[in-house]
This record gives sequence, C-alpha cells and structure tokens, in this order.
Amino acid sequence: MALLEAIGIGKTYPGGVVANDGVNLVIEPGEVHAVVGENGAGKSTLMKILFGIEQPNAGRLLLDGREVHFANPREAIDAGIGMVFQHFSLVPTFSVYENVVLGSEPRNGIRLDRQRAIAEVQELSERFRLKVDPLPPVRALPVGQQQRVEILKALYRNARILILDEPTAVLAPQEVQELFVAIRSLVAQGKTVIFIAHKLPEVLEISNTITVMRQGKTVGQVKTSEVTEKSLAAMMVGREVSLRVERKQTDQSECVASVEGLRVVNARGTEVVAGLDLNVHAGEIVGLVGVEGNGQAETLEAIAGLRSIAEGTITIANENAASLSVLERRGLGLASIPEDRIAEGLATGSSVAENLVATRLNDRRYVRNGLLDLKAIKAHATKLIEQFSIRVGGPSYAVGTLSGGNMQKVVVARELCEQPKLLLVNQPTRGVDLGATQFIWRTITDARDKGAAVLLSSADLSELLALSDRLVVLYRGKIVAAFVNTPDLTPETLGTYMLGLSTQTADEMKAALK
Amino acid sequence: MMELFLTVFSAAFFVTVIRTTTPLLLATLGGLIADLGGALNVALEGMMLIGCLTAVIVSVYAPWYVAVAAGLGAGALLGLIMAFFAFRLKADIILVGFAINIFAAGGTVFALALATGGDKGTSINLPSKAIPAVDLSVLSNIPVVGPTLTAFLSGHSVLSWFAAFLVFAVWYFLYRTPWGLWLRGVGEYPAAPEAAGIPVNKIRTWSLVVSGALAGLGGAQLAMFNYVGFTREMTAGRGFIALGAVLLGARHPVGALLAALLFGAFEALAVVMPGLFNEIPAEIIRMIPFVVTIAALVLFSVRAQRALAMRGAK
Ligand SMILES: Nc1ncnc2c1ncn2[C@@H]1O[C@H](COP(=O)(O)OP(=O)(O)OP(=O)(O)O)[C@@H](O)[C@H]1O
Ligand SMILES: [Mg+2]
Repeated sequence: MALLEAIGIGKTYPGGVVANDGVNLVIEPGEVHAVVGENGAGKSTLMKILFGIEQPNAGRLLLDGREVHFANPREAIDAGIGMVFQHFSLVPTFSVYENVVLGSEPRNGIRLDRQRAIAEVQELSERFRLKVDPLPPVRALPVGQQQRVEILKALYRNARILILDEPTAVLAPQEVQELFVAIRSLVAQGKTVIFIAHKLPEVLEISNTITVMRQGKTVGQVKTSEVTEKSLAAMMVGREVSLRVERKQTDQSECVASVEGLRVVNARGTEVVAGLDLNVHAGEIVGLVGVEGNGQAETLEAIAGLRSIAEGTITIANENAASLSVLERRGLGLASIPEDRIAEGLATGSSVAENLVATRLNDRRYVRNGLLDLKAIKAHATKLIEQFSIRVGGPSYAVGTLSGGNMQKVVVARELCEQPKLLLVNQPTRGVDLGATQFIWRTITDARDKGAAVLLSSADLSELLALSDRLVVLYRGKIVAAFVNTPDLTPETLGTYMLGLSTQTADEMKAALK
Repeated sequence: MMELFLTVFSAAFFVTVIRTTTPLLLATLGGLIADLGGALNVALEGMMLIGCLTAVIVSVYAPWYVAVAAGLGAGALLGLIMAFFAFRLKADIILVGFAINIFAAGGTVFALALATGGDKGTSINLPSKAIPAVDLSVLSNIPVVGPTLTAFLSGHSVLSWFAAFLVFAVWYFLYRTPWGLWLRGVGEYPAAPEAAGIPVNKIRTWSLVVSGALAGLGGAQLAMFNYVGFTREMTAGRGFIALGAVLLGARHPVGALLAALLFGAFEALAVVMPGLFNEIPAEIIRMIPFVVTIAALVLFSVRAQRALAMRGAK
C-alpha cells in the first residue's frame, strides 16, 4: 500500500493562477521519490499542500490509506511529514539547537531544557550522518550546514516523510554528495524522501521513482531505472532539449575590462581576493572557476561597484572605474546578474514592470520631468515578458509571486534587453529549469556574440564549460590556473586546481591569460 | 551648583528617581515585548493614558488594587483591539497605534468630563485613591547601615518593587522559556516559527495584550502614585520615551531598566531643579528628558550603524 497518496489535487491561487490541476502523486514507503518539472509547473505548490501550508481547492490526500486534511503545518508535522523549503526557515540569530527544537522544545517545568535539547540534536546528527555543531548561531554557518539544520528540524519532529524542495540548488558539488550520503542513510533507517530538483543527473543518481509535472498537471510517473536523461528531459519540457550552445567566431581583440592587483578584504578582516589580475575582452566569456567562497563573488561585486576594494585598479571601457558609483559604472555599459535574485536582483514586492525599469530611471523613455511614464513602462514590460517568455499573469503582478526560474528571467531580461559592453554574471541558472537554462545560456551567448565582454561565475562546472571561452581557476582569492576552453578540458582537471591540490606556473597560465 | 550636587546624591532624590522611573520602566518592558515579537507598539502612550484614567475612576469606587488591575486590564484590552485590527483586519500596525493614541487623547477628556460632571482638565473633584508605599522602616533596627537602608528602600510604591521583579521575570521568560524563544523567533524571522507550526499571529496578539497590560500598569502607577488623580494628557510623551528606551536598551530587559532609569533620572532632575535654579524657566527644565531622549537615540543609532558597518554591510 502506498504511504502517501495525492489524488486529483487542484489549486488555484487568489488572482487566478492555476498552479495544480488534477495532480496525482503516489509515494511508496522507503523510497526516494523525485518530482521534476519546469519552473512554475506547480511542484512547490503541491508540496505546500502536502505540508498543510496551502489548502487544495480539489482532490484528496491519503496517508497510510486513510484520508487526511492538513489545515496547517502543525497537523502535517504531527502526521509525520517534514519539509525543507526552497528558502530556509531558520531564525538567523538563534543557535542550531534552538532552531531545531523551536516549536517542540523539551521542557523542564516552564523552562526550556537546554541540555536535553543539545543532547538530542547531537544524537540525531550522528544517527543520520548530518554533522553540525549545535551551539553556534545559524547565520554563522555555510548554506550546506543550514540545510542540515533544516533536515534535523524535521527529523526531531519524528518525520517519516521528508520533503526536500530543491535542496541542491544552493549547494556546491561536494555538499551535494554529502547530502546524498545523508539521504541514503535516512532511507536505510526507514524514512521516505520526496526530492525536487532541476538537475537531471542528480535526480537520476538519488531517486527510485520520478513524477514529472508540467503546467500544473502530472505528466507521468516512472521508475528511475527505466529512463535516461534525454527521455526524462523530453517528458518534462514536451520536446527534445539539448543543452549545447553554439558560439560564433568573434573579434576578441578589444579589452573591455581589466583589474590589476585587486585586493578585497571582507568585514571580518580576511583577504578574500588576494591580488588579482584579469582582462576580459569584447566577444568573450571568461569563466571564474572555484569552490564557492574563493573570491569569485567578491571579484564580481568589486567590479560592479557593490563592494569596496582594499587595493588595485579596475578599468571599464578605458575609464578608471574604481571610484565610480554603481550607476556611473552602469553608464559605461556594465550590466550585472547577481547571485541572489531575491536579495540583490529584485524588489519582490514590486511589480514585474517596475522591476524591469528599475535600472533605467534616468532614461527619458520611461521618466520625464521626474514623472514615470507608466504607459511606456508597461509597454516595455509587455514586450520583454513576451520576448523572454516570462510566465506571469501580466506586467503588474508582484515579482514575489513568480516561480524561481521566472524571477531569474526578469533579472536577465532587465540586464540584457539592451546590449551591454561588460556583463557580470553570477549563478545565472541556480534553481532554474531546463528550458529556462537553455534560454538563459542562449541569451548570454548572444550578448557575447554581439560583442559583450562577459565574466561568469557558477557553482555548476558543466555550465562554465558549456559557455566559457577561457576559464580562470580561483583558489583563496588567487588565480591558480587558466585555460582556453577546449573539448578536452574536463571537470576533473579543473577540480584538482579548485581544491588547491596543484597550481600552474606563470608560464603555463600565460597563454590563457591574455 | 553645590546644592544640585547635594540634592542628586541624597536618598530623597533616589526615591524620586525610582518614582519617576517606574511608569516608564513598565511601559518600556511592554514596548520591549511587543517589539521583540515584531509588532511595534506605538500606542504605548495612549494605552498608558487610558490606564491612568481607568485606574483613577475605578479607585473612587473600589480598593486601590482593583483600580490598578483595572488600569492593567484597560491596557490589555487596547492591546487586543490593536491586534484585532492589525492582524485580523490587516490594517497597518503603526496607523492603528496612532489611532489609539488619538482616541486616548480625546476619549480620556470626554470620559473625564462625564465622570466629574463637566471638568475637562483634572479629576481633582474625584476622591481617587493612591497606591500604598511599602514602609520598610523596620530596617532601621539593623545596626550601622539601618537608617541609610531605610532612607533608600522605604517609601517606594508597591508597583516599583513589582516592576523590578518584572525585569527579572521578563528576562527569564524571554531567554529561558520556550515561549520566549517563540516570541523572539516570531519577531526576527516569522517564516521559521510558522514552518515549525507555531501560530505566529496568536503570539503577536499575546505580545500586544501583555504590552498593553504593562503600559496600563504604568499608567496606574502614574495616576495613583506619582500623581494622585488624572490630568488631561498627563502621560506627556512617556509612551514615546519608552519606545526610545526599548531601542536604547538594546532590546534587552536589563538594558530597558537602565534606559528607563536614565530617563527617570532626568525627569527627577526636572522635578527638583526649578527649586534650585529659579533663573532658568521651568519649561526649559521640563524639556530635559525629551532632549535627552533625542540625544540618546541619535547616539544609539550612530553606534548601531557603525557596528553594522564593522560587520560588513557592504
Ligand atoms: N502565493 C502565490 N500567489 C500567486 N501565485 C503563486 C503563488 N505561489 C506560486 N504561484 C504561482 O503558481 C505557479 C506554480 O508555482 P510553484 O512555486 O508551485 O512552481 P514550481 O514548480 O515550484 O517552480 P520552481 O521550479 O520555479 O520552484 C507559478 O505560476 C507561480 O507563479
Ligand atoms: Mg518551487
């Protein structure tokens, strides 16, 4: 008998978006069940219904064959369901153990029993191979560990079924492997895991069964052993997708941006970029390779003017940019797709149209005499929504109601609707589905073909290898290797440099550091 | 100058400081609880004022402790009303708060006129009661330090002792009990307690009820001890000073105590100074607590910004 079954689930959000339309899901005990589908297919909505956050308009839920209704998360938790959200729900200043026990604290009279809480967290973390120190505040932990705290939270509440909504989107490749170890240990100890991801190799590696969703409907359920990456992709998108991008021959003689001797010191006083020299030319994509936290993000932020530098020069389009403001740098032709679309790329409470003109408020087409030209702004938005196929009800919808991939498309549309001279890109396809990934890759490559100089950072090596003309490996804020991208270049080669296991000599690097 | 010095270091001045601090401290603790729960209570002023009047009127007909309880209850009820508008009807909480303040300013005068048969300024014609002071003159039997102890510890309002105990109780609640954890979690990052199945709006509602109760209690102290009787707008901005004290006290109960003491001390100075310096207009002296509030808040926010910059908000 199935452990958890959803039959004919329907969900229409206020405002009329049909997120689920007759969705069926059958979860067997002890399996890892992947749910895949494009951005906005309704995966998160379905999970929120299973967890009692959203109420379905139609359909039934069966747990152990008995019909259940979850009016709120509490009831789902009590029924043995736990969920880790796409965006974590941890209180930043609370310690790990406080976050884990929040809402179901061990008590001693009216007092929170601190010792017991710590001991239980330790015990769980050992049993399920989710290593984490119970005492520090969670905001001091890297994302991977914060995620473990979230999983521990569910396990502490005796979850039998654990829902992980895009857990790998925020993780570096090694962390993904650690997560998989933990998932296997969970299943070995009788838990059932529902797993959402966009990267199909991950899905194929960890799951037993896959349910595919498209536009709010279930397309089908398959055994993982019976599908290939290709057939799965076709099922998801409804057509064949290939993730290869063709690049044109371009003239790469003009140097658009260069940094020399760049040093960046972070707030804790540690040097995160340690004397970086780098040139980016028109018509090329330079990939910044490295394990997260080795200075890639800081380099991009320094060039964009979002972070102050300790030393060095930054030249954009032959102008000394080090002392220019963000806006002045944008005036020189800089565009930037930031790492965290929600915190840095968008104003989630504002409409799509407003977000799309947010960087053009001194452009006479949209603002005249200090007044917004609402008609022009709306027309601009309508055009871009069409051109970038952003799935949204209309220009006036708040960006916050869009699915992750569609939010990212809004950022990409804003930054690339006019040809930039220099484009900075960080994690362009994090949490973005296959179709949109293909589209975003195509758009970035088009900008390059038309002569933009592109600096790209990504945690996904296959992305860097697919897009870059040259690759530069950063380790502890320094360049340790540089390559011209050829089909022979493998992730393994890059990996040894990324981990600092070897370093190229200046001569070896020279050819690729023009 | 010498006289000022002698006055400030006298036991009588200490007793005055405690007296001026108590209503502020109660309101500050109320502000703290609401603020930590993420529901900024800008209505402390109005809640205090209504607490004052309720306590005074009830004290005419009932014993002092019933009157105090009535002041507290009035504040709690206002907190509940505020929560209803803000969380159930989703009105902006700041606007609801100001509505309560405005209602309190006008409503108390109206109610006062009804209760006194037409007097719109004070309740001087009402035989209202006072909160008893705690007499500790037994302490003077202790050799050597006895008289000093008595001078410092005797003669405080019952509520002053209670407020001191509350500082500890609030601290214990916030940092030692599960509910304190919930409250702080709700204030800092509501999505987390929500996902853990904690009813966020219920917690916030309770925080406003308790916040209002404490403000009402502060009002009772003000109108039944600091002054006996009601005067229109007698809170004179104490509710807003309390809001400032929450921030100045770094959103911690002990900090709240220190901040309330600071403001209380300046208010006490404003009480004793006119007798000492008759060349300075009394109005100027009465401005001192407010000027200090502004100065303290500016200093505090400069410091906070610097700390933020240190932590690397880029
Ligand atoms: N609170 C909301 N109000 C209105 N519409 C919403 C809300 N949440 C989601 N939607 C819409 O419902 C649809 C399904 O969204 P959902 O988040 O379930 O997609 P998803 O499959 O999880 O996508 P992604 O892979 O990008 O996370 C989308 O069109 C989205 O814009
Ligand atoms: Mg989702």
